[in-house]
Amino acid sequence: MGEGLEAAGLSTHAMTRLLAWLSPSFPVGGFSYSHGIEAAVERGLVRDRATLIVWLDGILRHGAGRTDGALFLAIHRAVRAGDEAAFAWAVERADAMRASSETALESRAQGTAFLLAIRAAWPLDGLARWDKVLTATGRPPAYSVAVALVSALIGVAEGPALTACLHAFAANLVSAGVRLVPLGQTDGQRALAALDPITHAAAVAALSTPLEDLGGRALAVDWTSMIHETQYTRLFRS
Amino acid sequence: MAERQKAERGVEEKKVAVHGAATVRFEHRHGETRLATLYHHDPLRVLLPTPRRDDLPIAVLATTSGGMVGGDRMDIDLSVGPGARALVTTQAAEKVYRSTGADCRIDTRVAVEPGGWLEWLPQEAIVFEGSRLRRLTRLELSGDARLIAGEMLVFGRAAFGETVTRGLIRDAWEVTRDGRLVWADALHLDEDVGEALNHPAGFAGAGACATLLHAAPDAAARLDAVRALADSLDQQARVGATAFDGLLVIRILGGDARAVRRAYAALWSGLRAEAAELPTRLPRLWEV
Repeated sequence: MGEGLEAAGLSTHAMTRLLAWLSPSFPVGGFSYSHGIEAAVERGLVRDRATLIVWLDGILRHGAGRTDGALFLAIHRAVRAGDEAAFAWAVERADAMRASSETALESRAQGTAFLLAIRAAWPLDGLARWDKVLTATGRPPAYSVAVALVSALIGVAEGPALTACLHAFAANLVSAGVRLVPLGQTDGQRALAALDPITHAAAVAALSTPLEDLGGRALAVDWTSMIHETQYTRLFRS
Repeated sequence: MAERQKAERGVEEKKVAVHGAATVRFEHRHGETRLATLYHHDPLRVLLPTPRRDDLPIAVLATTSGGMVGGDRMDIDLSVGPGARALVTTQAAEKVYRSTGADCRIDTRVAVEPGGWLEWLPQEAIVFEGSRLRRLTRLELSGDARLIAGEMLVFGRAAFGETVTRGLIRDAWEVTRDGRLVWADALHLDEDVGEALNHPAGFAGAGACATLLHAAPDAAARLDAVRALADSLDQQARVGATAFDGLLVIRILGGDARAVRRAYAALWSGLRAEAAELPTRLPRLWEV
């Protein structure tokens, strides 16, 4: 703790694994979730690059970025400290904090698929112990829970690990936005570049937020994820 | 009262924080629901108006202090025993005034035992500029217990040109059934509150919001009816609904406070009729 976002001492072995696990080709099905952006586009709330950037800025700083960021750190710290009770508490909380049934599916399905792929292809020391705690909770792992667990196990410090996870989340949503608005690939990259400092700001904010302040305030995003459930034409599962 | 008026004007706070408490329990005895436990401690009072014909026994919480300032606390404990059915509301909007530092806390526990039905629908909380509020509502259900519970938040009094730009507003929910955490939720606004209230993805400039929950083993079966009712409203507020794990969650985002209150009242009265065959009617206190 107190290391901030500096990735000092990040081994290249840890770095390549994190890049692989957070890449769009890692089989978690990220391409099928829009976090309500499909409904935001339908309602005209997201309609070009500028409005996409503002919308994702809100998700990162006020919505899932804030709540998942805090839970990511709770999991990472529990694993580093070997605190199984704290780990189980955060797994349960992450499962119970649901803005809508679709964002719950988005997070749980990707978290479950993430750990399945890790177990099948990337043997990891220490994972069995936490799998046992996870099973005992009877809860599916949220995506942020799964990424926090493995990044702690390979020794990536909490600040860089969280920033990487938030970046992957933002990149996946930009990709959804590019398909939905639609935007050109270059505009998508411009959006992602504009969101880079915001991703860092969201990580810094999470590092200084006590767990008792866990929560969000992206009510418009929550609303889009609810109305997406009844959207007539839809490409995405959330 | 003079101290409260000073606090409202942002001049100074009263010196001594208050700690109110209320406990209300209904039980099913001799074929009907009756009051079983009643306790209150100032500034909280419990009133027991005569229920309307064909409607549930009702308890009304009132605060005699005129609003909350930094450091004030309220503990509310509501329960219904097996098979009992009741409704609890509040007499007036709760005002939360500017704090120079300390948080106000409102902790509410709502317990419903097997076969029971409880409606907990407090009137809105109006948070003022610089107020600090931490509210936790914990719903504890056992077996096939059912309930409707809600909360409504208003940011300043728009009619007086007031807005909220800073402070702390935390509104958290926890729902358990037979001890298992089914849902946890927390609205958390702090520091630059105005930025989040104005952000298109945040409150999008809304001056009020509300949450309405219906917990029941078959809660998801009410989703279509709730959505149809929401579509029939005047559309001045954004309404969304979702369901999972025996819980139906409805969110309302203003518009102005009146639009949110109208939607909240319409959805509540429609839901109680749909889910429990109760009158599509609100307590008299709500008819304003």
